[in-house]
Amino acid sequence: MFQWAWKSLFKQPGNLTGSALGIAFAFILVIFFDAVWQGESEQVVAYPENIKPDIWVMQSGVGNMHMAMSFVWDWKADKIASMPGVKQVTPILYLNNVITAGDTKMFAFIVGLLPDAQRAGPWSMSAGRQLENSGEVIIPDVLSGLTGVGIGDQLRITDRDFTVVGLSSGTYSSANTVLFVPFKDLEDILSSTGTYSYLLVDVDEGIDAKALAAQIRNEVEKVNALPHDEFIKNDFSLARQMGVEIIVMMTAICSVLAALIVAFTSYSLVMRKRQEIAIIKALGVTNRLIFYSVMLQTGLVTLYGFIISVVFALFIIPYIPLLVPQLTLIVSLESLLQLGMIAFIVAISGALLPTHMVLRLDPATAFHV
Amino acid sequence: MIKLALRQAQLDPLRTLLTAFALGAVIAVILVMEGFEQGQYYQLEQIVLNRKADLIATQSCVTNFIAVRSSIPQLSRAEVESVDGVINAHPVTAIPVIYTKNNIRTPVYVLVYDLKGGPSSIINGHAIKNGNDIVIDISLAKKYQIQLGDSFYVTDFEFKVSGITEEAAFMMPFAFINYDGMLDLFIESEIAPDLSTFPLLSYMLIELAPTADRDWVAQQIEATVPSVDVVTPQQLAENDINMGKVFYGPIMGLLVTIAYVIGMLVVGLIMYSDVRSRLHSFSVLKALGFPLAKLFTAVFLQSLLLLIIAIPLGILLALVIAAFIETASPVYLIRIFEPVIFSQTLMASFAFALIGALIPLRVILRSDPMMAFQRT
Repeated sequence: MFQWAWKSLFKQPGNLTGSALGIAFAFILVIFFDAVWQGESEQVVAYPENIKPDIWVMQSGVGNMHMAMSFVWDWKADKIASMPGVKQVTPILYLNNVITAGDTKMFAFIVGLLPDAQRAGPWSMSAGRQLENSGEVIIPDVLSGLTGVGIGDQLRITDRDFTVVGLSSGTYSSANTVLFVPFKDLEDILSSTGTYSYLLVDVDEGIDAKALAAQIRNEVEKVNALPHDEFIKNDFSLARQMGVEIIVMMTAICSVLAALIVAFTSYSLVMRKRQEIAIIKALGVTNRLIFYSVMLQTGLVTLYGFIISVVFALFIIPYIPLLVPQLTLIVSLESLLQLGMIAFIVAISGALLPTHMVLRLDPATAFHV
Repeated sequence: MIKLALRQAQLDPLRTLLTAFALGAVIAVILVMEGFEQGQYYQLEQIVLNRKADLIATQSCVTNFIAVRSSIPQLSRAEVESVDGVINAHPVTAIPVIYTKNNIRTPVYVLVYDLKGGPSSIINGHAIKNGNDIVIDISLAKKYQIQLGDSFYVTDFEFKVSGITEEAAFMMPFAFINYDGMLDLFIESEIAPDLSTFPLLSYMLIELAPTADRDWVAQQIEATVPSVDVVTPQQLAENDINMGKVFYGPIMGLLVTIAYVIGMLVVGLIMYSDVRSRLHSFSVLKALGFPLAKLFTAVFLQSLLLLIIAIPLGILLALVIAAFIETASPVYLIRIFEPVIFSQTLMASFAFALIGALIPLRVILRSDPMMAFQRT
């Protein structure tokens, strides 16, 4: 019986491949949604993740960086620097704003760096040099590629023109493009003096960052201090929850679509082979065995589609940012496993209608001409 | 040929329904994605237009309302109001904050206003009466289960929710406070050691005399007050939409393209499968002398018929999904019936029908009229 199921399915490879492709593309859409979401979420934390101080200090009531605004007195940085166990404190200024690069206006995160604060600057440069003078900016290489603004060109932040002196890599995403400018310039844009946005605290070897963060919170008034992991977790969870409802709904509808394609394929197959199935029934094969055979067919079609989508995810998606460099796509094993579970449910739901048809089929129809 | 296509659809209604549902699901996916993108642009537009200004003054060289820092010297308000034709320059300040409760964080755009520029509508509760009042977007109220009168902490400062509104943009809910509230927030929470760090005045909503020439007044203000630029609300909204397109365009473009490919594949698969199962019938038609063009027309009409059934199903499904998303998270707006996008999706559906009919063409071409005389 299972051999019949196998043979009848593979006898029409065109139908099988077409159905598998339809299912695969529905799954690919789900993978894409997740990859974009995952990629953008990861990229949102790219700056703090790569800078990686042991402790982040910020204004009280603030607990992350993405889309946040924080200001801390400069004397608080000195106070923290003098605390036992603190190796160094690197202050940064930080601003979310719209920038103008060529003809493109886009949302960006601007980090103001003190002259000796390369520790908080770009972690990977693809061209050019670090900041040395006022009026200079380091922009992501992807932004340069998209806008045509390269080294030596001008870029505008609010009412100030900056000259591009370096291109950084790993600092671009649709939601979180990171630019670096001299501290003083950003201070002027913000009209601020004597304040920092975040303090990057590195601790001495052997010091417990969590305990030191708690000590900073207790001893320095009106600041929040978080160990690096907790800070990243806050930023990542903020990014992840934005758009989650859309992702869930689109995953659901794409799964329904895949189930409908499975049902359609299996139903078409069953309807075409109904006389054969009637003969099989007339020969005494039990309903249960026929049911399992139909399930096997839907399972195989779904598996075929799932394999195509996984192959696509692993071998094609990584190359898509070459065509669309604005996108950061990350396919996680976790999402593929989740999709596997969805595929299993899809196979079962897709089998419901055809199995119902098969079980109701009258063996007497085997003798109709 | 139309009759043949109709009869074919009636022959197996269950299969026709299954097919229509599959196609409907594809159309729904496309409509929801396009609707989501259009909804974002609509919200970006409305958040500016709802401030109900004749002209808007921004910091010089600032050309956006959302996601931008605009800081205008406070004295410039009096300078703007001294220009002929200006009745009032209502101050508005924008403060982006991260609202945190139960360890869940949400970026919120707090708009501070005086007399104009507040929430466009209050769906529950009342407008701001004192400095402790705050009006929040319904998505925040739902997400954190906040009721009227509940506390709403912004960087340790306690506001009381006096009203619920429906204003969100750029995937961010909005909240509204007045200037008493802002000053209390800044001072009591020591939000900034140096108040000048924060923009105390971000925009001015300019109210013109009924007889004033808008363009002339805008030019006069820019000439008189160099620290500001003056734009119409429509221009500012357009700038925000363009910024939104840079943000959403590549992502949504890619996803919609995939959805279109799926649509073509699904129609193609269905028609291919259908033609394969009716190969004998096509052989008979060929033996009867029907030209290939007629047979193709029959397949095309059949796929068209399926899409005509599928389109209302797809729209219905898209409306249900949109309603679900908007109910679960009111920060999103799904605009399915945006005329350009809606008609574009319908046109694409007809393209699906055409391409779907082309895919099984090879099978029809290869069908042998001799098969008409064989038993199936």
